[in-house]
Amino acid sequence: MISQSSCRGAGGSGRVMLRLASVTKEYRDGEVVVRALRGVDLEIGAGEFVAMAGPSGSGKSTLLHIAGALDRPTAGSVEVDGHDLATLSERELARLRRDRIGFVFQSYNLIPVLTAAENAEYILMLQGVAAAARRQRVRELLAEVGLTGLEDRYPRELSGGQQQRVAIARSLASGPALVLADEPTANVDTATADSLLDLMERMHHQRGVTFLFSTHDPRVMRRSHRLLGLVDGRIEGDGAPADLLDGRL
Amino acid sequence: MIARMAWRNLWRRKRRTLITVASISLGLACVVFFLSLAEGVYAQLVDDAVRMLAGHVTVEHESYRDAPAVDLVVADASSLRRRIEGVEAVAATKLLIAGQGIARSGRGAVGVSIVGVEPQVEAKTSPLARKMIAGRYLESGDESLAVIGSALAERLGLTPGNKLVIASNDRDGNLVERLFRVSGIFKTGAEEIDGYLVEVRLADSRGLFGLGADDVTQLGVLVRPGYDPARLREQLAAAIGDAEIGRLNLAVRPWQEVIPELAAFIRLDRVSDHTFQALLVVLVLSTILNTLVMAVLERERELGVMLALGTSRGRLATLVLVEAAILAAIGCTAGLALGGAVSGLVQVYGWDLSSLYPNGMTLSGLALSTTIHARVSAHKLFVIGALVFAATVILALFPAFRAARVSALEGAR
Repeated sequence: MISQSSCRGAGGSGRVMLRLASVTKEYRDGEVVVRALRGVDLEIGAGEFVAMAGPSGSGKSTLLHIAGALDRPTAGSVEVDGHDLATLSERELARLRRDRIGFVFQSYNLIPVLTAAENAEYILMLQGVAAAARRQRVRELLAEVGLTGLEDRYPRELSGGQQQRVAIARSLASGPALVLADEPTANVDTATADSLLDLMERMHHQRGVTFLFSTHDPRVMRRSHRLLGLVDGRIEGDGAPADLLDGRL
Repeated sequence: MIARMAWRNLWRRKRRTLITVASISLGLACVVFFLSLAEGVYAQLVDDAVRMLAGHVTVEHESYRDAPAVDLVVADASSLRRRIEGVEAVAATKLLIAGQGIARSGRGAVGVSIVGVEPQVEAKTSPLARKMIAGRYLESGDESLAVIGSALAERLGLTPGNKLVIASNDRDGNLVERLFRVSGIFKTGAEEIDGYLVEVRLADSRGLFGLGADDVTQLGVLVRPGYDPARLREQLAAAIGDAEIGRLNLAVRPWQEVIPELAAFIRLDRVSDHTFQALLVVLVLSTILNTLVMAVLERERELGVMLALGTSRGRLATLVLVEAAILAAIGCTAGLALGGAVSGLVQVYGWDLSSLYPNGMTLSGLALSTTIHARVSAHKLFVIGALVFAATVILALFPAFRAARVSALEGAR
């Protein structure tokens, strides 16, 4: 593995979707300071399909949270789709998350009192899209993710794979530029994981959305176009998945 | 969608929501019922008192309240009465002469209040006329007849038909004694009335106190149902006119000034009632607060997800406030309906407490019927409902604030 903390994006468009510069994140646990990220430099270009692997505690989730404007770094700067997050107010960050970033969580995190269609519609409602327009868009989206006929089911009435499909539909409904997926295949069986990956890859191709995964799943790593290896809060590897997995990097 | 989410969130824990709604509605129903009952009792007390005594509004000599004496009279009572009866809100007028004296029989003597009345008017207006337990009430043609209270009759060993001597001072200070015969004996249940009140005809009391043919100590006015007694005073003062009020040295007084002890009792009782009801409302509100806080605490992760998805903190707070508002609206509607319905039944049919009070009930020295009637006021129902609703929503600000402070990270984990 190559020891490096500075990684350049390889996006085809040349536009940088996510840029982290010298990002450090420290937590205090009583008297102990935990350093989750240690000076991370990273660029991900628009339209990339990137996976991020590493052992538990390596900082993958922390990096996703910071990239998703859910958390602020202790030091360093973060840019998402050209927006310097440090300059944005909390309200602007919420708007950025709503309009430009999609999230897919390991535990799906659907809103239990909303049906599949309503969950997918939720962000469109926040954006102020008219009811008829958002219903139409969500119907198409749910059809794309293979949930036709299940629109009116509540999350508790859906399998894990179906819930994750709803979560993917929700993450894409607002037309985001960047989707951050935290262990999206961790709670589903192999066949479902494969179909979810097919789905996300298709969405990536069709919509040109940038994907960044954190994962332990070798299938996700292999199917990504670029793989980052995180160890102890540093990016220790960055390259083609085959190279990284074969230990050539 | 926020309202839909709020509604569905409430029914995620059906049992808890139902218990909360039940506690709001039962608490509110209790408040409404006890308030209506108390208002009914107050109204009944006031009504009985003003009918037995000097009306909702009393016209009397301006100095009479300071030192009640039979020489402080309302002159030209008949002429005044005609003017007053021209006021639309007036249901009836009554002329009274009230003085002090001593009632004596062969068995002893007791200091008494002597009230001269018009029997035909009192028979229609005063509850005393309906509380005769022996003999009969006075009639217009009766001369030198008196009705006395049961306790006084017992002390003096009197029964209907017995003789009774009443001694008093007339308006010039001369000692006057007159012989009366007991026409009837009343029992109100109030010792202050049954033990010390003697009623005689107006003409007899004029003779006893040496008053002129058109003199009274009080001209009582009863208000027509549906009219506001509080406004009657001004209407009467206007009808009599300032010049006449000045010429005759009159004062036009509401019952609260004429029977201040009753007004004070009602004020005090209201304070204690309202304190009790406020405590009940506080208990209800604490149940609501508990429900809302629990609902927020157990959903912190979910609220965090919503925040992560781009929901504003204000919208999260709004969600909790809408939940509280729905909870309060259901609880208040049910509580007002239940409390209003039960109170309405008690207003129409009354609540017979005679088995609890076999010897009758008295409040503030006044006898009260053992069948009590509630008094439901739509205005009060609205005010109580609005207060509880508003208090719930204000109380919900705390859990709403808490919801608005969740961490988006909490939802992402």
